[in-house]
Amino acid sequence: MPKVKDVEPIELHGDIWKHITPGEVILEARGITKRYPGGVLANDHIDFKIRAGEVHAILGENGAGKTTLMSILFGLIQPDAGEIYVRGLQVRFRSPEDAIRMGIGMVHQHRKLVPAHTVLENILLGHPKSKGVINIKDAEEEVVAIAERYGFRVDPRARVWQLTEGEKQVVEIVKALYRGAKILILDEPTSALTPVETERLLESIETMTQDALGVVPFITHKLPMVLAISDEVTILRRGRVVDRLKTAEATEQILAQKMVGRPVIFDLKKPDVTPGKPVIQVEDLSARNNKGLIALKNVSFTVREGEILGIAGVAGNGQHELAETLMGLRPAESGRILFNGQDVTHLPILDRWKLGMGYTPAERTDVGSIGDFTLVENVAMNYYFDNRYNHAGFLDYRGLRQLTERIIEEFDVATPSPDVKIQTLSGGNLQKIILGRVLSREPKLIIANLPAQGLDVGATEFVQRKLLEARSNQAAVILISEDLDEILSLSDWIAPMYEGEIVDILPAAEAKKDIIGAMIAGLHQEH
Amino acid sequence: MTVAGYQIRLLRRTSLPGWKAALFSILAIVFGLLLFSLIFIQAGQSPREVYKQIFGYAFFNAYGLRLSINRFIFLAFASYAFIIPYRAGLWNIGMPGQLYLGALAAFGVVYLLGGKTGDLSMPQPLVLTLMVLAALVAGAFMGGIAGFLKGKWNVNEIVVTMMLNFIAFNLVSFMIKDGGPFMNVGGRGESFELPEAARAPLLADFPYTLVLVFLLMIGIYLLFARMSLGYQIRAFGKSPAAARYAGIRPFRISVLVFLMGGALAGLAGYHYFAAVPGVYKIARTYAYFGDLSFYGMISGLISLGNPIATLLVALLFGGLSIGGRSAQGKLHLGFGIDYALMGMLMISLVAFQFFYHYQILITKKTVPQSHPTMTEDLS
Repeated sequence: MPKVKDVEPIELHGDIWKHITPGEVILEARGITKRYPGGVLANDHIDFKIRAGEVHAILGENGAGKTTLMSILFGLIQPDAGEIYVRGLQVRFRSPEDAIRMGIGMVHQHRKLVPAHTVLENILLGHPKSKGVINIKDAEEEVVAIAERYGFRVDPRARVWQLTEGEKQVVEIVKALYRGAKILILDEPTSALTPVETERLLESIETMTQDALGVVPFITHKLPMVLAISDEVTILRRGRVVDRLKTAEATEQILAQKMVGRPVIFDLKKPDVTPGKPVIQVEDLSARNNKGLIALKNVSFTVREGEILGIAGVAGNGQHELAETLMGLRPAESGRILFNGQDVTHLPILDRWKLGMGYTPAERTDVGSIGDFTLVENVAMNYYFDNRYNHAGFLDYRGLRQLTERIIEEFDVATPSPDVKIQTLSGGNLQKIILGRVLSREPKLIIANLPAQGLDVGATEFVQRKLLEARSNQAAVILISEDLDEILSLSDWIAPMYEGEIVDILPAAEAKKDIIGAMIAGLHQEH
Repeated sequence: MTVAGYQIRLLRRTSLPGWKAALFSILAIVFGLLLFSLIFIQAGQSPREVYKQIFGYAFFNAYGLRLSINRFIFLAFASYAFIIPYRAGLWNIGMPGQLYLGALAAFGVVYLLGGKTGDLSMPQPLVLTLMVLAALVAGAFMGGIAGFLKGKWNVNEIVVTMMLNFIAFNLVSFMIKDGGPFMNVGGRGESFELPEAARAPLLADFPYTLVLVFLLMIGIYLLFARMSLGYQIRAFGKSPAAARYAGIRPFRISVLVFLMGGALAGLAGYHYFAAVPGVYKIARTYAYFGDLSFYGMISGLISLGNPIATLLVALLFGGLSIGGRSAQGKLHLGFGIDYALMGMLMISLVAFQFFYHYQILITKKTVPQSHPTMTEDLS
């Protein structure tokens, strides 16, 4: 058997990136295969090429093998078989450091920044230049120059914890570029951005392609983004490349169908429901965030039976505090919450569950579930106090198991058994269990905080359908989402939030996406 | 890692059947005993003889077994005192303080009934009930302080329980030494001896507290496996944020687990000083038992908070502390070798928990024929 000597990236000269001609293949993967212990074939002979000055999107549902492929390209894991070529040179990445040296930059969806440090410190962190004495001034100038070149607005001296998600992403991109990335891998680049921020990112990517950089966004669910951003799309399903096409030839419908493997309904039918009596009335509610600052300012609204109120907004504008205050996880600073006419402002959390309030939190793994518990024990989170399953202090685990089986069946949860730990489930299945558990209580009010965020197309559609079903069953729903399309398609009323205030409450029939987009960006004040 | 064409890989386990966990623990004990043999060999002793002496005395000698069981009961209570807060994610390091206070309260009952100077007129069952209740309440009070501070202001429970140990230690000292109210008439730095009616009865040579251990085992097992309260404690222990979301009140859990844990530690104090034949007083060396209670904590940790498994570990350590001491005297081994052996087993048991989380896979390395450019990985 012939043996090829390892290509040692360390020994390579930095001039591998000289004289790039636009359109030339700068990164090529051939036959990438990865099988995990347990037999899951995450990547099955994946081939693809990235050209200089091109945006090549990788599209696929959760579990399609995107994360594995991304990790292989960035040296986080090694493939079982297959080769990677950078400008025609075969390379093997033993660690991200190797990948970075070869000009590959990665922008993680879950930001890997130090919150207490400044933007500049984060950018310099881990850079080879910063191993000895750092010339902060020069470094700052260089960073600012890069940011300006690509139209990013970021203050290098700001502390990272002060930044919005969009700004943090900018820091990660600048960090990658500062380290000399020629191929930029973006993991779900627009999932946390406002429409305005998305627009700006697209412009920056445009400039990058002019500079002959290769950009590879990995995308699960933002199909319009794929169409807007990319030149070419590779679609993965179950670890294989199912298709590769020029974006110009694609539509949202085609992409979704190839990705899911069946036709997907985009426009959910919203049945006509006659709203009933008010379920929740919120009056001048204010609350503080974890830093002790007022983050929710005098918010008032009413939601009736059979209505969905969509709270639109960018992360960090008080929606999260609103949800937690309504459920009692956060104390109200002032104002009142009336639930079916009863003042619940200062009621303990458990009493709110018992009265018929239900909450599906955005933090599904940290708050919404207990990873080390089985599915049955997780379902018990909403039933340990319920007389149907709690007999004189003893829990009816057999009954709870049957209940869990019913939820698994009704919500189409993929799991080998209700007795496995919930941390073994994928994000979509986890959310189905949480939602199923909360909805099985038949709550009169459902507060759904980012119910479809991070879910793939199939699971998103399912979760949204279940919320509409609850609405048909005369439940009141408060839907918190950063996805304006979701808000527009599900809500009866839309309340855009900006800096802790509800800007306006509009009937969904009259709401325009651009106006709401402006409202949540703080650009549109009250009419 | 690849060695001679075989690939050795570490795999994270997703689940572990109970029998495997037990097997690893037994292997750990065997490994620890073998390793400690070297020390005995170095001391010029045959390990076989030493272990025969240790285990023979601890478990197969009628007198030694009684001593071992007394220690076992003590460690079992101490272990439960640790396990209940531990399942809620909280660390009770205050068993010594709680058991000192439990012992003081039990003796306080006798003192108030006039038992310091003469026998009691009250019937024995009533006296015993009062003593046990007092020990439970006093231990619970001591534990409850930590639980309250933790639940109310999130004060670190480890620091609080440890500091309370010092307070309780000196409180005992004040009560039994130099003219303290519980001082023995002959001085000697120990408490008065319990009158006949306050001494715990024996059931087949063993203190009746042995029965309490098994009742507690069943109770604690049911608490965590079947009861709503146990579920809430476990949920809080695994994820305080998720538990809070589900309506479980952190303050209530913190206080409850420390009340329960403290009460059981109080019982340990009652057991050793008021129920073990031949003791029946708060000994001058009471601090020794405070320290010994930490073996209850270790046994709770090794058994991962399992109320049944912990009894086996407690029995092992209880026996070793007796057998080791006896072997040390008989065979003229170095001072402290008994505790060194217990320490070695403890480390071995903890080290073997690696196998609870990982398994080692050895496979023959094959290179796929269709990919001739694959390189041998020697990293």
